[in-house]
Amino acid sequence: METDKTIVDKILAEKGREKKALIPILQAIQGEFNYLPEEALRYVAEHSEITPADILSVASFYSQFRLHPVGEHTVKVCVGTACHVKGSGQVYEAFRRKFKLEEGENTDASRKYTIEKVSCLGCCTLAPVVQIDQITYGHVTTSQVDEIIADFESQSQSAGKKQYRTAAGQDIQGEIRIGLGSCCVASGSDEIRKAVEATVNNRGLRVKLKHVGCVGMCHQVPLVEIVPTGGEAVLYSKVKPEDVKDIVTRHFHSSGLLSRLKHNLLDTAEYIQTDAKWQGIERYALNVREKPVSSFLGKQIPIATEYRGMINPLDIEEYISRGGFNATRKALLEMKPADVVKTIKESHIRGRGGAGFPSGIKWELVARHESSEKFIICNGDEGDPGAFMDRMLLESYPFRVIEGMIIAAYAVGAHQGFFYIRAEYPLAVRRVREAIARCEENNLLGDRILGSDFSLKAEIYEGAGAFVCGEESALIESLEGRRGFPKIRPPFPAERGYMGHPTLVNNVETLAQVSYILREGAGKFYSIGTEHSKGTKVFALAGKVARGGLIEVPMGTTIRQVIFEIGGGIANGRSFKAVQIGGPSGGCIPAEKADTPIDYESLNKMGAMMGSGGLVVLDDSDCMVDIARFFLSFTQHESCGKCTFCRIGTRRMLDILNNLTSGKAQPGDLSELEKLAHWTQRGSLCGLGKTAPNPVLSTLKYFREEYEAHLKGICPTGKCTGLITYSVNEKCIGCTLCAQACPVNAILFTPLEKHVIDTELCIKCDACRSACPENAIDVK
Amino acid sequence: MPAGQPARKMPLMSNKEFMIKLKINNREAEVEEGTSVMQAARRQGIHIPGLCHDDELLHITSCMLCLVKDCTGKLIPSCSVKVTPGMMIITDDPEIEEARRMALELLLSEHVGDCEAPCQVGCPAHMNIPLMNRLIASGKWEEALKVVKRDIALPSILGRICPAPCEGACHRKTVDEAVSICLLKRFTGDENDLYPWTIPPLNGKRVAIIGAGPAGLSAAYYTRLRGIEPTLFDRQEKPGGELRVSISRENLPEDVLEREIGTILNTGVIFRGNTTVTDAFFEELKQSYDALIVATGNIDDLTKSYGLQGNPKGLEVNRDTFGTAEPGVFAIGNVLRPSRLAVRSVAQGKEVAFSVEQYLNGELVSGEPRLFNSRFGRLHQTEFAEYLKESIRGKRIWPSVPAGGFSREDAVREAQRCMHCDCRAADDCKLRLYADRYKADQKRFQSSPRRNVTKHFQTEGIVYEPQKCIKCGICVRLTEKYREKLGLTYIGRGFDIAIGIPFHESLDAAVKETAILVAEKCPTGALSFRHVSE
Repeated sequence: METDKTIVDKILAEKGREKKALIPILQAIQGEFNYLPEEALRYVAEHSEITPADILSVASFYSQFRLHPVGEHTVKVCVGTACHVKGSGQVYEAFRRKFKLEEGENTDASRKYTIEKVSCLGCCTLAPVVQIDQITYGHVTTSQVDEIIADFESQSQSAGKKQYRTAAGQDIQGEIRIGLGSCCVASGSDEIRKAVEATVNNRGLRVKLKHVGCVGMCHQVPLVEIVPTGGEAVLYSKVKPEDVKDIVTRHFHSSGLLSRLKHNLLDTAEYIQTDAKWQGIERYALNVREKPVSSFLGKQIPIATEYRGMINPLDIEEYISRGGFNATRKALLEMKPADVVKTIKESHIRGRGGAGFPSGIKWELVARHESSEKFIICNGDEGDPGAFMDRMLLESYPFRVIEGMIIAAYAVGAHQGFFYIRAEYPLAVRRVREAIARCEENNLLGDRILGSDFSLKAEIYEGAGAFVCGEESALIESLEGRRGFPKIRPPFPAERGYMGHPTLVNNVETLAQVSYILREGAGKFYSIGTEHSKGTKVFALAGKVARGGLIEVPMGTTIRQVIFEIGGGIANGRSFKAVQIGGPSGGCIPAEKADTPIDYESLNKMGAMMGSGGLVVLDDSDCMVDIARFFLSFTQHESCGKCTFCRIGTRRMLDILNNLTSGKAQPGDLSELEKLAHWTQRGSLCGLGKTAPNPVLSTLKYFREEYEAHLKGICPTGKCTGLITYSVNEKCIGCTLCAQACPVNAILFTPLEKHVIDTELCIKCDACRSACPENAIDVK
Repeated sequence: MPAGQPARKMPLMSNKEFMIKLKINNREAEVEEGTSVMQAARRQGIHIPGLCHDDELLHITSCMLCLVKDCTGKLIPSCSVKVTPGMMIITDDPEIEEARRMALELLLSEHVGDCEAPCQVGCPAHMNIPLMNRLIASGKWEEALKVVKRDIALPSILGRICPAPCEGACHRKTVDEAVSICLLKRFTGDENDLYPWTIPPLNGKRVAIIGAGPAGLSAAYYTRLRGIEPTLFDRQEKPGGELRVSISRENLPEDVLEREIGTILNTGVIFRGNTTVTDAFFEELKQSYDALIVATGNIDDLTKSYGLQGNPKGLEVNRDTFGTAEPGVFAIGNVLRPSRLAVRSVAQGKEVAFSVEQYLNGELVSGEPRLFNSRFGRLHQTEFAEYLKESIRGKRIWPSVPAGGFSREDAVREAQRCMHCDCRAADDCKLRLYADRYKADQKRFQSSPRRNVTKHFQTEGIVYEPQKCIKCGICVRLTEKYREKLGLTYIGRGFDIAIGIPFHESLDAAVKETAILVAEKCPTGALSFRHVSE
């Protein structure tokens, strides 16, 4: 007990005792104890300005905080959009069965594992994704649960620093670039890195190793690019550790005949001994000029993602050498703040967080309000399940985002900046923290930046798990140490924001585009895009598309171009049905409207919304009623609970959707659903409630026949488990694979005879159908 | 300043704050900057409904009942929006009404509580049974009878013959056995001298009542209590109607009949027995009396001869007012429809008195309104213990002599079995008033299972019933403002958000100085005083 008090004392001393320090205090306490012990919380109340009421209010609001002890390890199953359509629900149930959890329980009997649903982990192209403590597993299937637990338990926790070696001497033979965005890391690029290092070291190759940020081709991870000096760059995709040696030695040879011979001999010996087969690595080599890759990359215009895949996220010199901070220099040393605002206004850039408010006007409003203090907040609380653009920008281009903040702060007169980053993005937090330190070392943050009169201090604030805190008034409440209840606007944050002072809140992507505008001029940015939506937008393309990943395209690019030309069309030979744009606040655009250009106005007209940039592609096997239900359950879960229409209205809508997808719908339900949707839109306090009905309304508009079918108890795509039955048809050869796969013994072993599924026991997990080699399982 | 120029005299700064002109319902208004739309409307005499708003507290924008429209048709919460120059606000129109109704229906869909107890709702006369029980349990027989007589004119009689639909609805019945309501009511009638009580003076108006059965007697009693002089006509020698004819003296002794009917007559009701009202006499009565009530019992040819609209089963009347097509002529009791429920006839006698008074005052005859009642259905097993917190355990008591009724001790003990299902704030609940005003339908959005009732008591002071809470946060803001050490706070998020106490401490510890304030300001019955004096 005494040690506990000392720890809490230390935390209080470090974080402060004012109300605004509450969330960091709680995060630190949970970091120490793995949950929030009541004694610790009482201690905080007694030794700070913070009241017990405030503590409980905040601790019970944010998803991150746990008031009860949990298991040793946390299994987080991502149920974001992309994971959902790939079957994360089944994966979650499979883990629950593995841990033998009862209804309402989340921790197994041995208290070793606690299971949690999260949305979203931001690795959407690896869906379904499961994270156990710090280790992420991608492409998880229900049959891999045992394997994953075994793998996790066998992993040694290597907490070593990132090591990469550069050749000691001069004439560097070239560069090997390894993608280290979260998706790459999750798919094993760290192993690749180790393998590359080992190869380079063993052969004494004089090659420079580089870690680069996200290239965007998440569907091809892990990615390794070889750039020999004087030679052509070659990009290798889906690299496995055992291929690394061959890839590297193909391009780089040890200097000296003798050592080459030695290595070749040793290699041959190794091959003979270990029985390793020559895989023919040619098929892994990707030429950038090759059609799929150039199609993926070709149509894109990188502004926020400039120099993608080429620069090390944390190498400030490299960033500067490629023009980084030139815009800052120009703004701070050659322009007046009002001119900076004017430039942004002329570019017509609109907020990239979702609402699309003209950023220049926002900056002007903040600049205009007089106050002793002003603040700037970079909104990195990217909560849309299915969106990972901001994560990528923060992880891979932190300097660019910081630069945007410096310029914006200068323009409006703010001297204190906050990076509000979701706690679910630990890599982003680390990178930005380091980047800030680099900037401070280089007089780019702190006092008198670049010798000018302008000073700016930046700090990081980690979100604690609340989607609603992406809404700016709720975000500010959170920063002030309160629960994230949105407030009525007016007054807007531009007038009264953080601590009552004028505050500029901008999304990560918006800030990431600022330096380009200052550097290249407003006109250049203005020249890209459509009449009312200028510039480019970063999208996270995920779902049933062949080539998923992060893309940055000019506004006005059509949905068809994005999905078919860039994304390579629908995966697995299925047909395009609809695309969900804008996450849980957005809507579905059906296939027949695929020529809709992507810009704010056209999407609004269709009943969808640009949102933050999540694009989830759906094929003909997806049930639109289920999709609507999925999104509504997300917004329902994330509702802050303050206002009547959102708190109760969305729940009643969800009740109806649950009834529809389980065959319990009543006549009249559809018209009640529409009524609820209509009034929830009009009567909710903030954007969350106002837009929560969008997925329902847009699917009702374009796919009403699916709703009508569900009213009759039929799910046309066979997705809704409450409405489908699994059965064995005549193609059965009696191989017993299905009976073996069934986790609940609903199929008796009848070798060589047609098997039968007991529909009472069947839990619709789809394991039998996946196991059947003969297509003998029907789903009706 | 150039030399030689006189110093300019600067005008004194005006003390008046910046005034803003706007239009509310197309009328001009001018208010100080910083006034909310709701306050500005109030200055114009327009009351905008609101549940989460309090003048003393900063707005929270939760209930959304105060929605009004701006000139673009957008709905805005008037308690939280400050006036701006040139604003044009509409405070009421069909769309706004629909929005408010929907907000109420959403709130009611998760509001678990009974305004009136189910026994009271089940009783055709809507007698305030829980209050009667509380008074009996504390030994206040006379006051208990006064409560009974507000709604039931013949407690000793009905206490012997009524089939007690109230007991069928009783929540205690779900737990073990119903409270013996009927016998308790009988006890109040038997135990007391029923007379004299203060009776209002006559106002000069006179009503003729044809038929002195339970319906007519009741109508006579309640019209007399409104200052009208009733004259009862009956073809029998003594008043009582079916009470004398159809019920055995064993079940309903003569002395009980005499005593109870006597109290009604003693208030100044004129009785003309042995009088048959023919159709000619009926016309005469219409001329010489200010109003007429037909309470002749099961319809027969004589009543049909009065020429009133009817069908083979009975006369047809407006169900809210009991008025026939002829102004000033009303009809109640079995003449409408044959029934064995005497209590229903007695109830109608009470209700028609209200309509008659409206008529005699020259008002629009609309009948006595019934306020909205929140209802949630039967108790779940897990809730029994909660409800028993305000009661005693134990089986139902029966009188030792079956026909003898309760002794005092037995009555007290049985009355204590009542679980007080009525809401303490039934007369002081904004949610109920607005639900009534906007005709909200509580059943519209009952799509998920209801929450289970829990009750949290202070030792003395207030009680908290979370399932009645509408999350308006008034109590949270109050305990914060007045710096309670613990206070009340929001716990959780979303649909299951609730008001709770930090660190699971008791209600006694949580709310000390502000207990009275939070109970007073709570817009529902979630926070109320433990002991509500009548």
